[in-house]
Amino acid sequence: MSATPTIAFDAARCDGCGECMKACQVAKSDDGRPAQSRIRIVRDDETGSWGIAQCRQCGDPRCASVCPAAALAKGGDGVVAWDAGRCVNCLICTAGCTYGGIAFSAAEGHVVKCDQCAGAPQCVAACRRGALRYVTAAKLYNRWGELEDLFVPGLGGCQGCNTELIMRHALRRIGPNTVLATPPGCIPGMGSVGYNGMLGCKVPVFHPLLTNTASMLTGIRRQFKRKGRDVTALALAGDGGAGDVGFQSLSGAAERGEQILFVCVDNEGYMNTGAQRSGSTTYGAWTATTPIGEAARGKTQEAKNLPLLMMWHGCEYVATASTAFMEDFYAKLEAALDASGRGFAYLHLYSPCTSGWRFPSAANVEVARKAVETNFAVLWEYRRSHGLRLSRDIDEPAPVVDYLKLLGKFGHLDAAQVAHIQAHVDRQAQVLRELARAGCGADAVG
Amino acid sequence: MERSAQQRFDYVVVGASHAGIEALRAIRAHDGDGSVAVLDREVRLPVSPTVLPYVVSGKRGEDGIALRERRWFDELRVDYRQQARVTAVDSAKASLSLGDGVEIGYGKLLLATGATPAVPPIDGLAAVRYHVLRTLDDALALRDAGRSAGRAVVLGAGLVGMHAAENLARVGARVTIVEMRDQVLPGYFDATAAARIEAVFRRHGVEILTGRRIEQVVARGDASAVALDGGELRDAGLLLVAAGVRPDVAYLAGSGIAVGRGVVVDAFMRTTVPNVWAAGDVVQTASFFGDTTPAGGILPDAVEQGRTAGMSMAGDPAVTAYPGGVPLNTYGFFGRRALSVGRDAPADAGPDWEVLVRGGTGSEDYLKIVLREGRLQGVFGVDVLFDPGIMWELILRRVELGARAAALLENPEDAGRVLMSGLWR
Amino acid sequence: MSEVVDGTASAADAVAAKKEPKILVCDGNEAAAWGVVLARPDMVAVYPITPQSSLAEYVAQFVADGVLDAELVEAEGEHSVLSVLHGAALVGARTYTASCGQGLAFMFEPYFRTPNLRLPIVMSIVNRDGITPQCVWGGQQDAMTVREVGWIQLFCETVQEVLDTVVMAYRIAEDRSVMLPVNVNHDGNYLSNGVVRIELPDQAEVDDFLGTPDVNWHVALDPERPMGVDPLTGGATGPGPALFVGYRRGHCEGMQNALRAIVEIHEEWARRFGRRYAPLVEEYRLDDADCALVTIGSMAGAAKDAVDAAREAGVPVGLIRIKTLRPFPLDAMVAALDKARAVGVVDRAVSYGWNSGPVHQETLAALHYCQRRIPCLSLIGGLAGADLTQAHFARAIAETVKLLDAPCPRTPVWLNAED
Repeated sequence: MSATPTIAFDAARCDGCGECMKACQVAKSDDGRPAQSRIRIVRDDETGSWGIAQCRQCGDPRCASVCPAAALAKGGDGVVAWDAGRCVNCLICTAGCTYGGIAFSAAEGHVVKCDQCAGAPQCVAACRRGALRYVTAAKLYNRWGELEDLFVPGLGGCQGCNTELIMRHALRRIGPNTVLATPPGCIPGMGSVGYNGMLGCKVPVFHPLLTNTASMLTGIRRQFKRKGRDVTALALAGDGGAGDVGFQSLSGAAERGEQILFVCVDNEGYMNTGAQRSGSTTYGAWTATTPIGEAARGKTQEAKNLPLLMMWHGCEYVATASTAFMEDFYAKLEAALDASGRGFAYLHLYSPCTSGWRFPSAANVEVARKAVETNFAVLWEYRRSHGLRLSRDIDEPAPVVDYLKLLGKFGHLDAAQVAHIQAHVDRQAQVLRELARAGCGADAVG
Repeated sequence: MERSAQQRFDYVVVGASHAGIEALRAIRAHDGDGSVAVLDREVRLPVSPTVLPYVVSGKRGEDGIALRERRWFDELRVDYRQQARVTAVDSAKASLSLGDGVEIGYGKLLLATGATPAVPPIDGLAAVRYHVLRTLDDALALRDAGRSAGRAVVLGAGLVGMHAAENLARVGARVTIVEMRDQVLPGYFDATAAARIEAVFRRHGVEILTGRRIEQVVARGDASAVALDGGELRDAGLLLVAAGVRPDVAYLAGSGIAVGRGVVVDAFMRTTVPNVWAAGDVVQTASFFGDTTPAGGILPDAVEQGRTAGMSMAGDPAVTAYPGGVPLNTYGFFGRRALSVGRDAPADAGPDWEVLVRGGTGSEDYLKIVLREGRLQGVFGVDVLFDPGIMWELILRRVELGARAAALLENPEDAGRVLMSGLWR
Repeated sequence: MSEVVDGTASAADAVAAKKEPKILVCDGNEAAAWGVVLARPDMVAVYPITPQSSLAEYVAQFVADGVLDAELVEAEGEHSVLSVLHGAALVGARTYTASCGQGLAFMFEPYFRTPNLRLPIVMSIVNRDGITPQCVWGGQQDAMTVREVGWIQLFCETVQEVLDTVVMAYRIAEDRSVMLPVNVNHDGNYLSNGVVRIELPDQAEVDDFLGTPDVNWHVALDPERPMGVDPLTGGATGPGPALFVGYRRGHCEGMQNALRAIVEIHEEWARRFGRRYAPLVEEYRLDDADCALVTIGSMAGAAKDAVDAAREAGVPVGLIRIKTLRPFPLDAMVAALDKARAVGVVDRAVSYGWNSGPVHQETLAALHYCQRRIPCLSLIGGLAGADLTQAHFARAIAETVKLLDAPCPRTPVWLNAED
């Protein structure tokens, strides 16, 4: 599918000036007939942020699917076109669109939607703050695809590993003005720092100790700031280096509010060294050090909830993400990067491990998705200013067994263990639900 | 074409309306190679029932109203067959019988045959000429009859009846609507909204009789007259029966496919028989709310079901369970608009329900928001605009509105868009 | 608190008003902190530990007062303290920290790595004995235990030398032929808390002496000079083994280059500031001596008094004080030892497996290169803050004199065993 242009909105840059709406109104009011703006900027009074309702020119437009008169269709130029001659004014398209992208205009007597002004969108031209951009991004990864891949080709990850995906996509977005720390684990293990003088990365990159990633980045970021340079201090760390032996330095840096973007790729154990138990290994899981035998049925303790621990540090930003929900991941990466200019930003990725968890290498994203759909891994984000918010509905999860049955590391579980895990997952979801309801964090922590 | 041997397709879709067409798209999105046939009983290209009132009014002719042109099927590499009426399904042999003796084998079968108008058992009705409105032929006949009808009686004040009544009035007929229940558009709008709509109709000379029945229909030459339950008579130069629809399932007799109020399906639109799916007005649609809220007959629901069925048939791993039907309506009348998404509070609503209302008296706009445990259940507006698609999504996501409910009542369009921006944009 | 720097508000004035050498009355921890002020590091990271704590407090106060323009990182432990400095140094920062004892033990993981990264970090060790038994007092067990890690180790005798050596340490560390971290050791209690009169060098002169920081020309984390710092190196095949050897050998060469740099820098210091210290090994009344004591750190003061007293009593004894323990000043030490016929080495630490003191072991190794066989006795004292008085050194001299006529015992003399 060829890339087609779209209008992208960056809420962080929008100040609600409304110039885009005025420009649209003018552009569509030809012959002096009044028109309604096809773009609508709305203010969220609770968060003070700006939102947008505008046609997203969906790849699979539902407005067109529900139109009984075939008056809407996605064209080769990527624009979902509205045909006045066919429209019967039934407004069913407005029920098909969940984005407020097509709406009835009382002034014009029919539905109206953005047509991108035949390739020269006036709203974008009118936006002085760069909140609206006219970009070519028909495919999800298009924008990332145009950014430079800052790792060398041919990193040596296991087949089906999603960590390489996380690394490449994260660094593409964060860009070359970065110093990257990759503490011992899978990430440097696949060659991101390099081997015997051969380098794995185009940005300055180093092996910190397993224990001191956040501390080294503290010195790096502070010294650059002292020199008047804004260089991103980035960690791509595993769960052991973040939450176990590395937790002291992580906690210290978070408490001090160091301006660091710390990405934890949580594969729930020491997978690079052969799948041993870590503090992030979940209850019941087989690992090389919680083996299955006559007297043992996997790990007997719950995993520590590292992202919540980080939230209680009052970080600038904390979020959980999954490679099964890339748009969500991108949005959080964006927010985390932004927050790391003000304070500590922590991004926790639930990252299934094909080899250590014992599942087919083709199933990584499916496993990641099931983890989220069963609430085994809950996606949320915390902003110091606004507290914790769930990223998706967690009220009707699939039973956790749908997730457990995918994984060899849970193959031995008996009914009581499954029930135990289900209860824990439910409890955890309830805790997060209540934290979200309370808007938690913002006052209590900040 | 050689027709003696049985033909076989990997996918067979019966019916080419909203559910069937969306299913075709979903199948092709995941399986570009499998052979696909669509069997449509109609002579003409598919036309959505939703555009028919505009044919009746003359706003649209016969051309340019097809739901899909033939080339659409060709581009999808789908064998599109018209006048192909399925008369029997043999699920053991995985084959279909067409009326002309042709048998077609299927790998996977979708039943999307829709519904046909329900005709109530009214004394004398079968003996007179009356209209229904489901197909383009129905619409053309009604249009032609309406121009010279003089007096018209519409039986049923659902969407079809109301639309037709308006259009008949517009071409000069004196229209009487007879509705059994005590308001128009029951199930979509409450009494306040309905009263507002009725008032507009009355201003345009339409007589509306609610809470009334037709006892008998008598022939009067080419025309007829109806006798109401109170005894009075109304001349009916034109009689339109718009008393709802019934799933078209007669051909399933003996197939082993379970049928209740419609074809019984699970959340992935699978029937009780392997390799057979069903979607659209032919199925017994589950309510999203899990209660007796009427479900089915909603165009976007049919599309959702079609997509779910198509993805499930093609083995698309991205398929998700159909969440259940949500009543949904975008109703335009005499240049006004009424929007309805979701359900109203029941008469015996407990303390967990909350109903917020503004306006509704005199000439004021009317808006009603229904919440249960703080979650949106329904939004109903007359002459108030909002984005039904956003409201639908808020209901499906069971979003807790909290303090935002008040904002939603004040400005449902902007407040809904703010919620959308924060939650899923 | 000193008489000149009385209260925090006047600290800035003390520097600003400086024209002639300023006189301070202060202890060794404050002196070290003034050395830090003069060296103008970009970043200081500290975590408090007895007996270093007041040093950390002085530095923090100097930053708070604006006397010292440095990033101050109050890290959550010594491990992070040094790790922060690693990051900063890789970005080009001149850096400083101080610790001792258990703090050094906890810091060991990044400490172990610092010289291998060739980062010119300066760190004071306010020497403290090791636990257990539980103990918060002076002793050199901490520094002696890390002799093989690859840091340059300098040991001071006086409070003035502490200040001067902290400043000189940056020149040594940042010498392009060296590029190694430096520990400036000063004894806990004796030097950390002993108050004396010292001179504060002029800032402008120190600036001229030190030059601008020259820290990361060879290894850096900087998007303008992207490189991979510390990729995996070694293994059985390919270029790895030779690369690894190259790094180790280069480190050894840097250490040897430091011997020359330390001498030259001490001489320049003497020329500029008028205070001359033996850079590697100090010889005291050694030229006509039969016997010699070998000492290290602050104990040399009392030991020199004991030597003077013995000389007055007609005993021809001299003293060797080791200033630089790493790199080991082999030539200077051999030259000094060659002047004696018997040697007694006084340690404030223990070499458990050798049943003697660490400096005794170092001395034994140097004696291998001497022209004749010289008996060498181990004496251990001053553990856990115990006093080493003139009387203790008189005994040490007496025990050493015995070696001229009797076989050398293979067990140590425990100087405080009866105290």
